Amino acid sequence: MADFEPKIVAFLCNWCAYAGADLAGVSRLQYPSNLRTVRVMCSGRVDPDFIIKAFQKGCDGVLVAG
Amino acid sequence: MTQKLLEICGIGRQRLHLAWVSSAEAQRFVDITKKTVSEVKDHGKFDPKAFKLELEAALMTVNGEDVRWLVGKQISITTKGDVYGRKWDMEKYQEVLDTILEREYQKNLIYLAIQQGKSSVREVSKVTGLDLLNISYLLADLEKTNRVEFSGMTDKIPSFAAL
Repeated sequence: MADFEPKIVAFLCNWCAYAGADLAGVSRLQYPSNLRTVRVMCSGRVDPDFIIKAFQKGCDGVLVAG
Repeated sequence: MTQKLLEICGIGRQRLHLAWVSSAEAQRFVDITKKTVSEVKDHGKFDPKAFKLELEAALMTVNGEDVRWLVGKQISITTKGDVYGRKWDMEKYQEVLDTILEREYQKNLIYLAIQQGKSSVREVSKVTGLDLLNISYLLADLEKTNRVEFSGMTDKIPSFAAL
């Protein structure tokens, strides 16, 4: 299990976390490449439905950041 | 709520992370992603096939009317009170919500099991892992809401069918 790389779906708010992620990229901060980003206009848009569907499709974890 | 539901399904709440990051906090974002990745890594690979029934039931639960209404009304009922003018405190409301969440989830699980052709209580118990008494109670509830019907006796065992 040492080389296991989890697949994580990240729901990022356009105005907060997405911009934060963008800034992290611009300022050349290293962060894990396991995230598959989904940009949403607000983290309030994220429905529990999306999260369960993400698990059904086989991701290992979900991150919701606003 | 979804974390609690994942816990009930046996998937584990550690697979779902919530965090607030502002646009200026790049370092915080990096820390959070690192933490999330390492925690999910500790939990190992997730196999959706092993949780097929559970995930389907969870999906039905979060899209179900009861849970949606309860979540939607939470703020107004805990701050302004319900239609009878009773005030509910947050903890009490949360307790009710958790109970309903678990109950609805178990009902959906039973419904799906019956839909797959597990007609007797014992068979349902085997696939869902719920105890027999609990299933009998929930079946009565499912019958009342016309989702499941009693379809007769086979070898002196009552059998049920999904509608």
